Amino acid sequence: MRCVRSLLLLALLAILTGGCAFVRGTYGEEIKPLDLSSIKKGTTTRAEVATFLGAPERIVEVNDHEIFQYYHFDMKSGLLLFFSRTNVISEDVFVFFNKNGIVEDIVVGKKKPPLEMQFWPFGE
Amino acid sequence: MLARRNLPSKCSFGHLESKLASVDSTVMRFVIGSFAVCLALIALAGCGPIIWQRLTVNQPITKDQVTFIQEGATRLSEVARELGSPDEILNLKNRLVARYHFIDTKYFRINFGWGLRFFIPYYTPDLVLSGGGAGTDVFDVACDSNLVVQETAFAFHKSSSRFLFPWD
Repeated sequence: MRCVRSLLLLALLAILTGGCAFVRGTYGEEIKPLDLSSIKKGTTTRAEVATFLGAPERIVEVNDHEIFQYYHFDMKSGLLLFFSRTNVISEDVFVFFNKNGIVEDIVVGKKKPPLEMQFWPFGE
Repeated sequence: MLARRNLPSKCSFGHLESKLASVDSTVMRFVIGSFAVCLALIALAGCGPIIWQRLTVNQPITKDQVTFIQEGATRLSEVARELGSPDEILNLKNRLVARYHFIDTKYFRINFGWGLRFFIPYYTPDLVLSGGGAGTDVFDVACDSNLVVQETAFAFHKSSSRFLFPWD
């Protein structure tokens, strides 16, 4: 009886873990505060920003401001049996330049809490 | 004969037999029940006939979180420090708009033909009912050319994200 029960428990565990997947993905380099500390408002040039952070993913021109946008996405996805949930979070960095190509402002968010690995699709 | 004489009475032997039979049937019932549960779990596992899926991008922003913003005084970089960096920056005539998105997508799918693979292994037709919805909450921050906040606005559409049947 005990042997049968153990075997069934093992089979149940194998089935439950067979129908599950946990996936992690990122897009773009994460820009750390240390990388940004070398950029000074009013002095750092466009070329220097490109040297420190690399080429931006996107360049936008808004009212004589040139903006470098650096993407960073983080994704966690969980699948268990017939429930699946994928959470994505974005942490982009924007560097604003004035007409002369000098850094005017840096728009960067505070570090968000790490994403949760979830599989339950209901609720918040 | 000797052996038969040393046996307990016929009545107690019969009792033992019926006891063994009842233990056997309990074990069998347990095994069959567990097997049925396992089969049901296999049927529902992974790429099975039924799935609820959800995709969220970013966290929702509430009105309470933006009370610190003072129009005409707060800078975009301060907004970003509190709420995180925006997802996109739009160019308007003489100002810019920073947009924050929260996207919520829900999807439900059931395949009634899934079980037919046990009877028709070479060609299993799909009989799929599925439905879902996507909703986006948006928080817009309009700034002047000095990157000072001039206006803010919310748009709530998250409730359009639902698990749906095709006929709902």
